[in-house]
Parts: sequence; C-alpha cells; structure tokens
Amino acid sequence: MQENYLAKWLNNELSEEEVIKFKATKEYATYQKIVETTKGLSAPKFDMDKAWNDLKKAKTVAVPEEGSKVISLNPLKKYLRIAAVVALMVSVALFYNNSLDERISTQYAERAEVVLPDASEVVLNAESKIRYSKEKWAEKRSLSLSGEAYFKVAKGKRFSVNTPDGTVAVLGTQFNVESRKGYFEVSCYEGLVSVTYRDKEIKLPAGNSFLVIDGEITPTQHPSTTEPAWLSNESTFKSIPLRFVFEEFQRQYNVKVSTKNIDESQLFSGSFSNQDIELALQSISVPSQIKFKFEGNKVLFYAKAP
Amino acid sequence: MKATKNDHVCEDEVYASIFKTHSKTVYNYIYYKFGNEEKAYDAVQEAFVKLWENCSKVAPEKAKSFVYNVANNLYLNVIKAEKVRLKYAEYAAPIEHEAPDFILEEQEFKEKLDRALQNLPELQRTTFLLNRIDGKKYAEIAEMEGVSIKAIEKRMHLALKTLRENIDGI
Repeated sequence: MQENYLAKWLNNELSEEEVIKFKATKEYATYQKIVETTKGLSAPKFDMDKAWNDLKKAKTVAVPEEGSKVISLNPLKKYLRIAAVVALMVSVALFYNNSLDERISTQYAERAEVVLPDASEVVLNAESKIRYSKEKWAEKRSLSLSGEAYFKVAKGKRFSVNTPDGTVAVLGTQFNVESRKGYFEVSCYEGLVSVTYRDKEIKLPAGNSFLVIDGEITPTQHPSTTEPAWLSNESTFKSIPLRFVFEEFQRQYNVKVSTKNIDESQLFSGSFSNQDIELALQSISVPSQIKFKFEGNKVLFYAKAP
Repeated sequence: MKATKNDHVCEDEVYASIFKTHSKTVYNYIYYKFGNEEKAYDAVQEAFVKLWENCSKVAPEKAKSFVYNVANNLYLNVIKAEKVRLKYAEYAAPIEHEAPDFILEEQEFKEKLDRALQNLPELQRTTFLLNRIDGKKYAEIAEMEGVSIKAIEKRMHLALKTLRENIDGI
C-alpha cells in the first residue's frame, strides 16, 4: 500500500486495486465504522451573532493602524516634522534591534509546536526553549535550543541547531535533539545529520543516535521508531541512569521528585506514559525494584535500606 | 498596484464576509485542540480584533491564514487540552426496528470512539475533526496549520490508524 493510504482512501484517491486489497484486510471493518460514525459528529454550538456583536464592541475600541486619513488642523512646521520622523526612526530601529529574536519556551508539563518561517516544524518537549531571528531566517537557518525538541526541516540551505553541548547541522530532514544538564542526545530519523561535539564532527545517518552523558560519549541503541516516543506521549529510555529518568518525569508531570536510598546511576531501560501519572510511576518503579510515595505534587522514590 | 476599494479588509463588507466564512471554523479549530468552549470563543474575538487592527496590512486572500495563526498562537504554551466533547446527531431513523443489542453496540462503539479521539495527539485530532466534521480539504487544513499537504495526509493517516488500534484494543 502507498504511504498514508488511509488518508488517500478517505479522499477517494486509492486505485481500484488498492481499494480491493484494503477492503480485504481485517482492519477494514473498523475503519469503515469509524468513518460512518464520525459522519454524525458535531462540534459545540457556536453563536455567530453573539460573537459578531461582541466583536463590534471590541472593534470600536480598536483602531485600524493605518485606517482613515487624519487632517491636521495645526500642521507642524516642516523641520519639526523631519525631526519627529528621524526620532521615530531611531526609536523604531532601537526597538526593532532589541526585539529581533523570536523566543519560544515551554514550562513543566507543557509542549509547543512552532512553525519556522520556512515551514520547518519544531515540536518542543517540556521545559525547553528555542530562540531564532525571523528577519535573518532567509539568510541563515540557525536557532539555539536548550532542552529537547524534534525537528522536521524543510529542504533548503544548512539548518543548524546550537546547544550548549554541541552544534547539529542538516540540510533537510527529521531529527530530535535533547540537551539537558549532563545529557546530550541527537537522533536522526530521516536524511543525514552532522553533529559537532568538542570540535569533532560526527555524521549521523538516519536511524542512528549520538549520546553523551556527563561529558562521556556513550554507545547507544538506534531508534527503532520513525518519530521520538515523546511525540506520542511516552518517554523512552535505553540504559540511561535513573537520575535522568527522574528529571524527565519531573518535567512531564510538573512534580517534585526526591529519592531515598536509591542509586541514581543505576541504568534504566523502559518507557513511561506522559499522560497517566499512576501508570508512569509503576513503569519506573517496578522494573527498577524501587518503591514510591505520591502525595500532592511530590513523589518520593525509595528503597529499603540494605 | 492600485487596490480597488472593495477588496480591502478594512471595508466593512469584506470584513463581515470573512467573519461569516471563517469564524465558526476558527472556533471549532481551537475547540478541537483544547476542548474548551470559552477559550475557543475568546480566540475568535482575539483573531478578528487583530485582523481589524491590521486590516490595512493584510491582503484579503491572506486574511484566512492570518486569523488561524492569531488564534493558534494565542494559546501556544498556555493551556493544556481538556476533554473534547462532541455530539452525535440524533438520527430521525425509526430506531424501534433495530434490535436492542444493536443499539447497545452502537452506543458502546461511540463511547470507545470518544475515548480514542480524546487520546489522540492534539495535531492529529484537530486535523481529523476539521476534515470529518467541518469537511475541510487537506489543502485547506495545510494552509491553516502552515504545513505541507503531505504532512496533513500523514496526520490523517496516523489519526485513523491510532483510532482503530484504540478501538480494537490493540
């Protein structure tokens, strides 16, 4: 079947052969039923007249910025006008200079999706920040990141992501960068990514990851999925010290984690849900053979003293 | 280029027609994302006030993506999705002919579908519902979201796939 065949099917874009093949699958019945059932769906009522009236009230306060012409009754003398224009230009230039960079950030338990001026997409995971210049974007596709983000880069010139740990550069591809305290990971999902770490350049083809923990390059398994797990609301780890798992847990749920009698350098492999805290706690504690207490917005992981 | 008078967004008629065509979709768009009626209503207000303030700078053909952009940016980073509540139309069909277990089965399926929709990632849900409920073409959704048509097809595909997996309990 062709890529995204479900979307094509809905749009009647599948060939006859493909339709026959699709109808023969055991999943077809449910797909058909979903489509049938959603036909009867509707959104909550929207009162357009009320919205229009409210809007009229708001409109009388707001004024189009270059709307109607104003005829001055007391025109300024020519030189004064010029002086005013110059002053305005200077202050606009100053203001412009200061506000050049776009900044987007997420807090704990948040996520954001950003479309860059060239239609590249960035998805920010919790507690992450990006900064870039909209004006200079056309000349230089470059942004700085702290935290974790997934990039879908539109084809074009070199696109670089600067982090405190290293620089990641690509031409057009899909990749994930995580730069946290003591932790730096780049995974490439499509195309080719170049990572500069400590003045050394590493080429990362699709399906490969590069991981640095506490300044040490750590061999890691390759991503087996086509997108980072956190995009589907899961946090996944492969042989990662527990302390990073706890940190990610804090970021996803906006809770405070403390530990007692726990070796935080113990390696953890597994994943937890970013939507169900109880389940997530189980997913961390059971395989690590530790216990937890969860009260209010505090979680204590503990083990019996040996 | 000289713009004729009536293709200017500052003209009341043009502005009103943009409002009529797009306000409901802006509302639904934000609602599908966050499941909050009040926030969706406010987003419509905000988007169209901004459009009015900038009416001289926004070309009429750009007005559509302008309002979606404003509405979308309004809640960037700010709120978490709540439960998206959708209604099923009551069919006038004579249901007394249907067997009770068939009706029950239907009901169960709707509940499963509701839950599955709820659990969809925001982008997939928004795209899926804009297409299914509002009948928006992939190209239109792509324009609203500022991404490629292929990206929208991918979201549609994943949305359907995830819904089915959830419903069939895989």
